[in-house]
Amino acid sequence: MRAPRGKRDIMTPLDLRALLAHPANGRVRVLVDAPGVEAFTGVVVAAREALLPERGGGDLAALIEPPPSAPWQQDALVRRVRDRGFRGLALSGADVLGAGSRGLAARLGLTLLAVDDPMALARAGWELVQGRDALTLGYVRRVAQSIEYSAAHLADLLRHLSASVGHGVALIDAEGVLLQAGGDLPEPVRAAIDFGLWQDVVSVVEGAAASVRVDSPSRAGLRLAVFGSGLSAAQLSALAVAAEVAMPAVAARILIDEVADVSDAAVASGLLREFLEARDARDPDVEQRMSERGWRTGGYHLAFRIAGRRRLETLELLRFVRRSLAALPVDSQAVTSGRGVTGWLSFAEPPAPARLDEHVAAVRALHDQARRSFDVATGVGSLDSGASGLLRSIDGAVDGARIAAGRAATGWFVRVDALGIEQVLLSWAGSDTFVPAAESLLAPLASQGPELLETLTAYLDHESGVSATATALGLHRNTVAMRIARAQELLGVDLADTDARLALHLACRALR
Amino acid sequence: MRTLGPERLPALARGFSLLGSGGGGATTLLELMAAEVLDGPVELHDVDDLDPLTPCVAVGFAGSTYLLGERVPAEDAFAPLLAAAERWTGVAAVAVCAMEGAGLNGLTPFLLAREHTLVDADLMGRALPGIDQLSLVVDAVPGVVLVADTGGGVMVVESARSADVESLVRASLIRAGGAGAVLVAGFTVGDLAAHGIPGTFARAAALGDADAFGEGLSGARTLGAGRVSAVDAVPDDPFVRSVELTGDDGALLRLVARSEFLAVTRDGRTIAASPDILVAIDSVSGDVLQVDEVTLARHVRVVALAAPEWWKGSPERLAHVVPAAYGLRDLEVEA
Repeated sequence: MRAPRGKRDIMTPLDLRALLAHPANGRVRVLVDAPGVEAFTGVVVAAREALLPERGGGDLAALIEPPPSAPWQQDALVRRVRDRGFRGLALSGADVLGAGSRGLAARLGLTLLAVDDPMALARAGWELVQGRDALTLGYVRRVAQSIEYSAAHLADLLRHLSASVGHGVALIDAEGVLLQAGGDLPEPVRAAIDFGLWQDVVSVVEGAAASVRVDSPSRAGLRLAVFGSGLSAAQLSALAVAAEVAMPAVAARILIDEVADVSDAAVASGLLREFLEARDARDPDVEQRMSERGWRTGGYHLAFRIAGRRRLETLELLRFVRRSLAALPVDSQAVTSGRGVTGWLSFAEPPAPARLDEHVAAVRALHDQARRSFDVATGVGSLDSGASGLLRSIDGAVDGARIAAGRAATGWFVRVDALGIEQVLLSWAGSDTFVPAAESLLAPLASQGPELLETLTAYLDHESGVSATATALGLHRNTVAMRIARAQELLGVDLADTDARLALHLACRALR
Repeated sequence: MRTLGPERLPALARGFSLLGSGGGGATTLLELMAAEVLDGPVELHDVDDLDPLTPCVAVGFAGSTYLLGERVPAEDAFAPLLAAAERWTGVAAVAVCAMEGAGLNGLTPFLLAREHTLVDADLMGRALPGIDQLSLVVDAVPGVVLVADTGGGVMVVESARSADVESLVRASLIRAGGAGAVLVAGFTVGDLAAHGIPGTFARAAALGDADAFGEGLSGARTLGAGRVSAVDAVPDDPFVRSVELTGDDGALLRLVARSEFLAVTRDGRTIAASPDILVAIDSVSGDVLQVDEVTLARHVRVVALAAPEWWKGSPERLAHVVPAAYGLRDLEVEA
């Protein structure tokens, strides 16, 4: 366990922090961190102090036998080990050392370590100082061992890797940590990682990580990082190799999970379609399959639909929605359907109005978050009970989403419960015969530019109030009054006439 | 020959306290008792001044020194012991010396000073815990007998085996309630020259006259001074305690004690050990501290007084008083 002395000069010193970070260090703990002792020349293991070499040469001495019990004997052990030139002493059963002996060690400049297995400590020290290849091989072997055990999913695989490598393992992208096991990757460490490189090793104050790019055809910009604190350069380069070895397994796992997700989403989507198409005609087969998926039809449901305003990756959206729903404290489902995701929250008892509003607010928050990555509009149905209630709520949500798609003012979000009349208007004003009529009615305005139509619509929406309209449009009230007068003139209608007003109002709505 | 008046008692008491090495018991009680007995100066004879054939006894109290304070011994506590010794040996004792020339027992011979010639000698030269550590017993001087109080009776022991002497006398002291009078007889003043430690009173008087804070004590060596930072028990031996001092110079001083201080270590190195007389002196009051008085947060000076030469006379004698004799390992003073 000892290096030929002549070779010492070219060796890296045995860094104490690196030793503490080594996963198989015999469970070493620091009892006394002597000032100025950050590293040792090497490590020497012996049964007891008398068998240590005469000249310590800055080494760490690891003794197998526990220290003596009498305080003066412990003092003497500390002093003699220091006098021989050792800078550290690792003992099994070192917890019996009294405060006096610990203080003496600190004063003499001898770092005291407690260790459960001194032989493992010696081996770890040897790996760090001389046995770089052994260190790497050790990590690689542990990676291989973890792959041997089947993992249920990606998170499971990362847990296995972390447990066997003995450091934290994280799957990251440029935005943040996607999955991690065995600890939390500090943000400064993640931020320091160079995503351009195939393999990267970073070490900052908060910790260190070795990372490698994950070659995944479906998900770009991912990296697999092994991280910890106090890792030396030797450990990091060994861990980088370990990460490289583990990476294909992670990439394969991502692909497997992806395929499983796609097929699962397709099955769920088909089932929802069958359920919706059957309407109230109950199909026992469909009900059976729904309950197998954990979709409860009993109880109360609040459906929502997040629809793409243009083409989007529905699977990506589904993944996002499911992740967000998992954080809500209610039973929820989400299924891809057409160009979006349909989902619902289920309750055993009808929630109180205040609670219901909270749930809607949660869906709203989900929608707002989704809009950062997807161009979507969301509709929320009304609370309803039973299988037919679920149908109605979903219908409402689908209508709501359709309305929301044109409603920038409400943030592309509509809760159908709050606008039953709006639905009536939509179904009427959206009819085939009305739209051409409305277009011809308002044609004189359209020819003069969009601002007249916009002002007139707002004016009618605000109960013919000039001030309210001016505030809503951010115009001066005189401007509004002038525009309204000009619109009346162009259209040749009297806005005091109720029939004329209603017709104009509907026409404005239909063309908006 | 010198004379000692009652006015010398405080200085003698302090000298004997210093020789107690942290044990030997507080001297106050015996100071008061001796003052009762001494109504004037008393003659103190050197061993060489007297006829070597003068029959002599050595007296002392043994057992728990605390119990003596609780149950004050009678002034004539030694009378039944003297009578038993005279009947056994066939001679009446003429001279008296101290059994243990330290602590309260340094003053015990004064209780017999009215009827007996006081000899300046003792059988230990310092405080020691064992009856088998009496010089006459260590050297196995023929004819020596021990008489012990059994609490209402006396026991006479004559044995060449020192372990028997120790355990029998100890048993009788336990019968007597934990502490009692002990008398050694069957020897002459001449025996003291070879098998005793002469000059005890002279040494105590000289030590007692020195500066109260242990400066300028003859043959004294200052080992260090510091604040008591811990008093630890030792797992292997419930009677041993390790007093930890944070030295004024930052060093770690440790006093290892049983009923007396047995060794002093400094930063893991043993710098003094029994039979050297190790004394802890309170830095503030100058009091000589008993082992159990060295308590947390006290500031003490630690001084070593030279061991009585007699103990160093042969390896066999030394083996009776070094720390190893008490089962304490690794406390040999490093060369």
